[in-house]
Amino acid sequence: MIIALAGNPNSGKTTLFNNLTGGSQYVGNWPGVTVEKKDGKLKGHPDVTIQDLPGIYSLSPYSLEEVVARQYLVNEKPDAIINIIDGTNIERNLYLTTQLLELEIPMILAINMIDLVRKNGDQINVKKLENDLGCKVIEMSALKGENALEVAEAAIQMVQEHTGIPQNPHVFTGSVEHALAHIEESIEPIVGSKGLRWFAVKVFERDERAIREMGLSKEILDHVESHIRDCEKELDDDAESIITSQRYDYIAKVMLECVKKKRARGELSVSDKIDKIVTNRILGLPIFFAIMWFVYYVSVSTLGTWMTDWTNDVLFGEIIPPAVSTFCESVGMAGWLESLIVDGIIGGVGTVLGFVPQILLIFLFLAILEDCGYMARIAFVLGRIFRRFGLSGKSFIPILISTGCGVPGIMGTRTIENEKDRRMTIMLTTFIPCSAKTEIIAMITTEFFPGNVWVAWSMWVLSFLVIIFSGIALKKTKLFAGETAPFVMELPAYHFPSGKNVALRVWDRGKHFIVKAGTIIFSIVVIVWFLESFSWSLQLLDPETQLDQSILASIGGALAWIFAPLGFGSWQGTVAIITAEMAKETATSTVVMLAGKAGITSLFTPIAALSFMAMNLFDPPCIAAMSACMREMGDRKWGWIAIGYQFMLGYCLSLVIYQMGSWLFYGAAFGFGQIVAIVIIVAALYFIFRPVPQKQINTQTAEA
Amino acid sequence: MPLTYAEMNKLYTVKRVTGKDEVRAHLATLGFVEGSQVKVIQSIDGNLIVDIKGVRVALDESLARRVLV
Repeated sequence: MIIALAGNPNSGKTTLFNNLTGGSQYVGNWPGVTVEKKDGKLKGHPDVTIQDLPGIYSLSPYSLEEVVARQYLVNEKPDAIINIIDGTNIERNLYLTTQLLELEIPMILAINMIDLVRKNGDQINVKKLENDLGCKVIEMSALKGENALEVAEAAIQMVQEHTGIPQNPHVFTGSVEHALAHIEESIEPIVGSKGLRWFAVKVFERDERAIREMGLSKEILDHVESHIRDCEKELDDDAESIITSQRYDYIAKVMLECVKKKRARGELSVSDKIDKIVTNRILGLPIFFAIMWFVYYVSVSTLGTWMTDWTNDVLFGEIIPPAVSTFCESVGMAGWLESLIVDGIIGGVGTVLGFVPQILLIFLFLAILEDCGYMARIAFVLGRIFRRFGLSGKSFIPILISTGCGVPGIMGTRTIENEKDRRMTIMLTTFIPCSAKTEIIAMITTEFFPGNVWVAWSMWVLSFLVIIFSGIALKKTKLFAGETAPFVMELPAYHFPSGKNVALRVWDRGKHFIVKAGTIIFSIVVIVWFLESFSWSLQLLDPETQLDQSILASIGGALAWIFAPLGFGSWQGTVAIITAEMAKETATSTVVMLAGKAGITSLFTPIAALSFMAMNLFDPPCIAAMSACMREMGDRKWGWIAIGYQFMLGYCLSLVIYQMGSWLFYGAAFGFGQIVAIVIIVAALYFIFRPVPQKQINTQTAEA
Repeated sequence: MPLTYAEMNKLYTVKRVTGKDEVRAHLATLGFVEGSQVKVIQSIDGNLIVDIKGVRVALDESLARRVLV
């Protein structure tokens, strides 16, 4: 038995899903978190599958996620639907409900967030609502767990007893109802009686996709067309708008009968007052940047550093390695095996784990900002700037998700309707530091710039600037030129962050990190250790003196010239850049392993460390994100364009940082490298500030 | 007049949403239909946060211009 959860974005479907299945899907306080359908077994009912669908405003598909939900509901027909609606906002949510009712699938209306409704002092007459809509209504609170299981059990009961098929409410009136009845009569022999009203409405709206799927003949269409035209003439509007406004008229009537709101319309709520400040024209951006500074200040520079210092220097420095060494020696373990365990695995994996406290702190802050509803506002604040370079504010959501991991961030671009915008966002979204890249920032900052409260934050700012300026430059090229998609997004109400949600979010990330440390990073560490410890003739090398003869040194050495202009043309730096392409965390473990006892400050000068960090942050993301990029682009060519662009950008940026930095701040002489850096800067400025090429203006008007 | 010119914190009634495309249909599902009450909560260069049917919706200037109140 399959029960589908359908409802508006941010109405609490995923919270209910987790509640029912015991799962821990990520729940976000903004629309568009669930972009794919997910299923799970109902707790205690192994034969019942709960299907979580992306949030939709209507069954007329607008963005990709709405297509997913509609295809599922209309074509695959679940056994029952639980329609979750946000009780604080019934009117808008009922719009989808009126459409779902027409499908004639057993359905329960679950009024979610009933605790908030009560707190607001609003009253909902459930019995009356059931009567009006012709389907069962249950009040619940997914967050508090109130009535959640009851809703599922009621749905199961319906399916078992073959009841619960909604009685079509009288949504449409007058000539529209008349025309729909006519259409129903004509198409019933073809589409059958189940969900007849839904099909009739689609024919009335002239929905091309639905009509094609029904396979209606031209005769029938011509026959009903006259009825549709009559309605349009009588009501002086197009068919689609007629349907929409009659639905809203119907809902308004239902609202009047069933819902009593306490707060008078027009009064400012607390959410509105907060919005006045944080989305303020002048203060909005500075507030956002200040908040992020604070996040990095606490997570990387102060509290996080103390915690990381302890794990790195004490736990993985003074406690574990000597203890393990003593143990290895006491059991008479071979020297190479001890070296693998202590220098390789504990040194390498330990480095990655050592920075976990800093990463978790950043995630804790971000989770709080997301969960309370603040981050969704930033989409609006930044939307203004994003628009100027031709990306819609919607692009911000994937970028935000990418602060955790680029892979779901890239998937999150599915909410962007415009194909060109979507491609550009896929290409740029991984520039924002993800958890693994944050680890690199944490390491470089802690090791090379201790006590500096600006470096970590400015890397974050730099990544923002890179995204914005890349956007401006790319939009002017032939590949991405075009109209910017309009931006419209629902803003969730502010609420106090839920401890459970925040913890779930942080745990989800932390778990991901630790699992990675145990699998891919572990394997890379072992490989690096092997290649570092043996020469080509498979002779075990002395780590103090003979590392230069290792396999790794010769591979790295052969490629080191590529990175010499960036300031870290050593084989160690080269190897770290290459391993980081497997997983960015390994940039840290590799340099720590290769530096050995001398410590990583022996490998880089501070400015080279900065350049090394920039290269890792802005060159193509890890292999997982690159393959997600290939997949979502839907075209290899576009995938390679993205990866090529990222490599070029990372390389150029690092070169500029190193060459200009060492000349301006570290007293290097002005030479060839600086000339190249200046050429790069000038070229970048040209691509950012050149006027939009005339040819594209012409094609744009032609397209319009 | 277009919603972009509306005063902040004042209730207006939507008269019409111009244009004939899927964006208009999407706006309709968000509640921007004739007769809806709408209030502008924040306005930055024509980009708006509005309250419509009890929900806060952010929309950019190109869309706000198409909502006539």
